[in-house]
This record gives sequence, C-alpha cells and structure tokens, in this order.
Amino acid sequence: MTRSMKGLVKALALGLAAACSLAAISGATAEELSLKGKRIGVSAIGTDHYWDLMAFRGIQDRVKELGGEVIALDAGRKDQQQIAQLQTLIAQKPDAIIEQLGNLEVLNPWLQKIRDAGIPLFTVDTATPHAINNTTSNNYNIGAEIALQMVADMGGKGNVLVFNGFYSVPVCKIRYDQLKYVLTSFPDVKIVEPELRDVIPNTVQSAYSNVTDMLTKSPEKGSIGAVWACWDVPQIGATQAVEAAGRNEVKTYGIDGSPEVVKMVMDPKSSAGAVAAQQPYEIGKTSVDNAAKYLAGQKVAPFTFVPAVLINKENAAEKGKPFLDAAEKAGVK
Amino acid sequence: MSATALHPEVGVSDEKQAAAKSAGRRFGALVVRLGAIAAFAAIMAYFVIFAPGFTSTFNLINVVEQSAILGVLAYGMTAVIIGGGSDVTEGGIDLSIAANMGLCAAVYATLLSMGYGDLLSVLAAIAVGMAVGALNALAVVGLGILPLLATLAVLNVAAGMELTLTQNTVVGASSPLLGLLVSGSFLGISALAWALIVFSAIVIAVIHGTAFGLRLYAVGGHPEAARAAGLSVPFYVSFTYVLSGFCAAVASILTVSRLSASTPGSGELLLSVLAAALLGTVFSRRFVPTMGGTLLSVLFIGLLANGFQLLNVSSYWVNGVQGALILLVVAITSFARGSEGSR
Repeated sequence: MTRSMKGLVKALALGLAAACSLAAISGATAEELSLKGKRIGVSAIGTDHYWDLMAFRGIQDRVKELGGEVIALDAGRKDQQQIAQLQTLIAQKPDAIIEQLGNLEVLNPWLQKIRDAGIPLFTVDTATPHAINNTTSNNYNIGAEIALQMVADMGGKGNVLVFNGFYSVPVCKIRYDQLKYVLTSFPDVKIVEPELRDVIPNTVQSAYSNVTDMLTKSPEKGSIGAVWACWDVPQIGATQAVEAAGRNEVKTYGIDGSPEVVKMVMDPKSSAGAVAAQQPYEIGKTSVDNAAKYLAGQKVAPFTFVPAVLINKENAAEKGKPFLDAAEKAGVK
Repeated sequence: MSATALHPEVGVSDEKQAAAKSAGRRFGALVVRLGAIAAFAAIMAYFVIFAPGFTSTFNLINVVEQSAILGVLAYGMTAVIIGGGSDVTEGGIDLSIAANMGLCAAVYATLLSMGYGDLLSVLAAIAVGMAVGALNALAVVGLGILPLLATLAVLNVAAGMELTLTQNTVVGASSPLLGLLVSGSFLGISALAWALIVFSAIVIAVIHGTAFGLRLYAVGGHPEAARAAGLSVPFYVSFTYVLSGFCAAVASILTVSRLSASTPGSGELLLSVLAAALLGTVFSRRFVPTMGGTLLSVLFIGLLANGFQLLNVSSYWVNGVQGALILLVVAITSFARGSEGSR
C-alpha cells in the first residue's frame, strides 16, 4: 500500500517533468519485479502506427528485461487474424495475456474467454470489464486539454471540422465526448455537420482530400477555424491540406504525438496548432509491470494512467524535443 | 493425344519426339508435385514433433474453426477457376469474393441491428451475395470482359457499397443463429467447425460426385469441345460466379458470428483465398483445382499460422512462407501446363 502510494506521488511528480519520466519510472521498480520462468502472451491489432509500434515494443522489451518469455502476436490490423491468434493463445495457456487495442465489440467475447480459461488479462489502451488492469493515458484529461487549447486558439468562436470515424474505438469516444463537453461552455464554437470520417488505411491521403473539399466548400477566410481529430495521423493530412490551400488561419489539433506531428507543431510556420503527446513505450512497459505485480501477488488498480504532454506552439521548442529524442532512440521515425 | 489428330502435318518422327519430351516433362512435373506435397508433409511433421500442443484435439478443432471462413470462400473461388479455366490471366477468377463477403456481412449485421429477424437478414445477405455474383456473371459472360478486370471492377462496387452502408464503422450484431454458431457444439466439435465440415461435404459431392460437376470441368478445361458436345458454356460459367457469391454470403454469416459484428477490412482475405485455391492444385494429379485439394490447402494455411504461433515464431513469417508457397505452386503449375501446351 505504502509502496503504491509512494509510486503514485512519484508518478505525479514525474508527470510534471514528463521529459525525464521515461528513464525514471522504469528505474524506480526494476529491482523488485521479476517475470522469470513466466510466459506472457502479447496480442496487438496492428503495429503500423507509431503509437502502436512503440507500445508493442515497450511491452516486449519490458517482459524480456524482467526475465520472461514473450509470445508476441501482431494481427496486421485484421480482426479475423487477431481472433485466431487469441484463440490459439488461450490454448497455449500463458501466465498472462496483454492485449493492445482493437475493436472492442469484436474482442470482448474473446477477452471473456481468456478470463474463463483462468488467464489473467491486462490491456493497453483498451477499456474492457474483462481486464484486471488497463494501462493508458488519461484520455479524459487529454480530450479536455486539446479541446481547450483549440478553443483558446480560436478565440472562443468559429467553426471546427471534426474527424469522427472511430467513435467505436473507446479512447476516441472519450476524447470526442470531452471535446463536446468542453464545447457546451463555448456555444460560439460549432462543429461543422456532417462530421468527417477518418479511415484506415490511407488515413493521410483521405484526410487531405476531405479537408481540401471542405475548404473549397467554405472559401471565405475565417469560415473554418480549426480541424480536430482523435488521433494525429489525420492531422498530418489536414495540416498539409490547410497549407496547400493557403488557409493559414485554420489550425489543426490531434492526439498521440507521432514524431512527424511533433515536428509540425515545433515548426512555427506550420498550421499544426497542438498535439497531445502520449508516451506509448512507457505505457507498454507499465502494463508489463502491472502484470508482474499481479503475478507476484500484489494488488493492482483497475487502471493506470501514464502522463501525456500537451505540445502547443508556445512550448513546442522545449517540450517537443524529448519526444523526438525518444523516437530516435527507438529507431522509429 | 487428340491434339496430334488436329495437326496431320506433323511428321511421325516429330510426333515421337514430342511424345517423349512431353512424357519427360510430365515425369518432371510429377517429381516436383510430389516434392511440394513432401514439403507440406515435412512442415506438418516438424510441427507435430516440435510445436507444443499442436496435435491436441482442442487445438486441431480450433484450427478447423479458424479455417471455416477461408474455406467457404476458397470453395467459391475454386468453382470459378474450375468453370472458367485455370489460366491465371485469362481463366476464371473472382477477385470480388472477399469484398462481397464484407458487403453481405454489412447487410446481415445492419438488418439484425435494425431489429429484423435471422430469417429475413440471412435471406437478404444471400440475395445480395448472389446478386453480386450475377453482376460478375453479366460482366464476364454477357459483356465478355476478362474475368480479372470484370471482378476487379465488381470488387470496387462491393467495397464501395459496404462503405456506404456502414460508413466504415463496426456494426455489432447478435441473434439466435449467431449465438448458436458461437457457442453451439455437437459431438465435441464446435458449430463453426461443423459448418466447414458440412459445407465441404456438400461442395465435394456436387462438384466431384455428379454429372453436373463433370460438365463444369469440361467447360473450364475445353470450352470449344464442351460447346461441340452440346453444353451451354455461358450457363455453367455464370453458375460459378453466382455460386461464388453464394459462398461469400455464407462466409459472411460465419464471419459475423466469429467477430460478433461486421467490420471493415474483409477485402484483406482475398490473398489467402487465392492462395488456398491455387495451392490446392498440387493435390491433384493433373494440376487442376479440386474442392478436396482446396480444403487441404485451407487447412494447411491454418495449421501454418497455428504451428508458427505455438513454436513462438514471429507471425510476420507466415505471410512470407505463404507467399513463397504460392510462387512455388504457380511455378509448378505453369511447368506442368507447359507439357500440355507443347502438344
């Protein structure tokens, strides 16, 4: 109990200095935890995005660091394949399973089967009643912060283009709902209907053409104030579209902190307004620590939040660099 | 042999030479074919010995279950290749089958979520699947477009309609039929596995046990001869595309049961479906697609992914190995064709 309290205080302190938290959190618990002789199954829906890849790597690296064996499964963003992999994984009876993202509607019956088979289940960024612990960013905070940043930059009025193609993805639901909640206090900020749909794959190209079309439809300067997306890959396409159309009054907002977007926000001339940068590698590692604690008989809270950092035009130079350094260290562009 | 009769100008010595050459190539093809089957067997033997839990009944039933959707789709593809001829560029092929399944799944899940019952929703899904098949038939048989291009166009039509219907979202679905497919079991074998077993038995019986099936092979193997013998080639070819659409609809119901929803991205399955139908030809002595051969290769593909996971080999290898096998089989098939082509 005291240890977890201490950990909490430490985590909060580190949250303020998020730049150095990467090294510090792992250092704090490394000696006590072990996964020696344990097999940990890891299932990810896909690793084709920066966030997913970093979290997936964080999980695997941490399991190996703690002396465990990893069964790492990447479904290549195919639901069928992820279900087949989970089914076989259950038959393999690992000591614990860590599941990372995917369609909840598809996954839930299978996550239930994991628990029915007596295998402890941990999730990364996937809120499900079947998991012992879900490790994620505080998406309530992130959603509110990025929305407030957007409203502030817009001066409290104007029209927003919103990408809402993934409301069925739980984290996107939270962020979108937070955006709506924030906007209830700013009635002069309006979401343009119908909302835009972000897609996978071809996310960037599709966002680019969607935003270009909307800017063409509303040609007067100032008729669109901002573009919002619940992640930052559509933000890339949106930012490029705004710049190509010469509509510099429009700013874009997204969440995740892909290096490409962090660079955009750091560039004073870019139309990328802000991005809430998460620490996916750290999130992956933390979920392994939670599994290790649980397997060692310690109590684990149902969710763990790893701090995220809002990078905006004002603080980009200072806050953005550590993220780019971390990405470079991991060998991801 | 009959080909020589059509070319009386071929000299006797040439004929002998050609016969010897063709016999040699046929022998070579046989060796390569047995080699391919031996490679399959060796991979399986390796899994049996080294992959923990590979041979357990539970695991094997899992693999049959995991193969059900691919299997049903691959039967549709196989039927099209049988009826249209197995020439890879000009023969029968249905590139729209996976996208068609996605569309049927979307129709089925959407109707269920709107409160229509199983009966109506299943019938609607089957009607849509067969309609897409009929569109393929119209393009290929009616308009004479190359199947590769015709079905590619229909693929886009089906994928577009699915996107329009679902707006690229996940449509959750539940119904008594889906519940039965998910949790039903008989004689210790799950309902989804039964679905594959029963469907396999039916298509194998129809294609390999009836005069109709024999005629279908005749139409695909030698359309002119089939026409001369009084068979309606357009009818048989159209039938295969509609059957393929039907298979897509059946697979869509299985997929909705397995995923509890219709989800975007069904089109991804196309490569595996093609792989299964093409790989299946090595199990036939004359390198023609057969339903039994397709079943074996579907199970092989399933066992490959399963065995790799049990051995804790990265799942990234599965795609590579699958691709290498397709290349091998297509190479063997063209090699064997070469012997027939030189007559």
